[in-house]
Amino acid sequence: MSGGSARSLAKGSAPPGPVPEGLIRVYSMRFCPFAQRTRLVLKAKGIRHEIININLKNKPEWFFKKNPFGLVPVLENSQGQLIYESAITCEYLDEEYPGKKLLPDDPYEKACQKMVFELFSKVPSLVTSFLRRQNEEDCYGLKEELWKELNKLEEVLTNKKTTFFGGNSLSMIDYLIWPWFEWLEVLELNDCVDHTPKLKLWMAAMREDPAVSALLTEPKVLRGFFNLYLQNSPEACDYGL
Amino acid sequence: MEDATRALGKGTLPPGPVPEGLIRVYSMRFCPYAHRTRLVLRAKGIRHEVININLRNKPEWYYTKHPFGQIPVLENSKCQLIYESVIACEYLDDAYPGRKLYPYDPYERARQKMLLELFYKILGYQNTIFFGGDCISMIDYLFWPWFERLDVYGIADCLNHTPALRLWTAAMKQDPTVCALLIDKNIFLGFLNLYFQNNPDAFDYGLTC
Repeated sequence: MSGGSARSLAKGSAPPGPVPEGLIRVYSMRFCPFAQRTRLVLKAKGIRHEIININLKNKPEWFFKKNPFGLVPVLENSQGQLIYESAITCEYLDEEYPGKKLLPDDPYEKACQKMVFELFSKVPSLVTSFLRRQNEEDCYGLKEELWKELNKLEEVLTNKKTTFFGGNSLSMIDYLIWPWFEWLEVLELNDCVDHTPKLKLWMAAMREDPAVSALLTEPKVLRGFFNLYLQNSPEACDYGL
Repeated sequence: MEDATRALGKGTLPPGPVPEGLIRVYSMRFCPYAHRTRLVLRAKGIRHEVININLRNKPEWYYTKHPFGQIPVLENSKCQLIYESVIACEYLDDAYPGRKLYPYDPYERARQKMLLELFYKILGYQNTIFFGGDCISMIDYLFWPWFERLDVYGIADCLNHTPALRLWTAAMKQDPTVCALLIDKNIFLGFLNLYFQNNPDAFDYGLTC
């Protein structure tokens, strides 16, 4: 499993060759929370993979042949099949590869995980807006909106009476929402979970998971990335290397 | 038609539990999202009952089925509730035997889901009346033929969803060019009928010369 700490490929770079058999490739970026979902599933299921990091501020032309939207993550297998949209890549990996199933077999439980995923759907753009905020007046408004969304998740845990969103063991939905919670500390939003005790406990339990902890980024590295990213620096994606 | 019943509004009594062997869908006859679920129910031959909801005058009890009172919602005899049209459709495909609508192959399944995202992106691209701005332009003409054909079947407007698309269809029908070339519904249906029978006269259907 290589490439997680490799320099990103940018405009002018040569396109990578085909994916060798027995391996799956993920086009990623070290700090992208959407790509982190895919990497978490790859790790959790022990899937042999290689990572090619893409410079999202200076994309290689060939990357649009992998995903016409030019976004990460994208999976490419040895048959040349391409899969994009983070949630779709995660579900594909769970279906295609053996080992521990992250999505439940029971149709209703599976549907419940997808309904929780919908409940979470406003969080990523709120967190990004918070990161991009121009002034401190926006700060309180955005925090309030975030509280509202986090409360919905707290309600799920309260109703289910379980540690994780899919039950008493960690499963797909937990991995799908985790990356943004990792950002909370760096964005100084930890107080947003002060009123959601179950969510706070969930965060602590997540940090104990081997896949989650293997993929954690040091807060100061994340902060360094944010600074450069906000300045639109083409060096952002490789910060810390 | 299972769904040809009056919509329930404020002041109505909540329906009882769903009998075993049946699944219930809360719906509205003209909503395209609920239409998806009804298509899957029909395609898989699933025994179901339909309760139509008056979306402009929602029954108070309906909020116990969906926190924001949206449709469609599935309710089974175990009182389990499933909402979001795509989730409901996948649930039905997973939970019921018979013809599988999603492919078995994981890559093919992923392809279908990626196509759906593309569809949403098209709808999302629209933030003006026409797809290119405030006036009709190339992209509108490029999309129109497919939407006109769907319109012939009478696709439904929905009070809550895709009002932008509904406005676009109406605006397009006011364009002189679109108007001049509008296909007559009966002639088009007549053509389709013959076409699906592989009748070579299909192409001349409706010509009076």
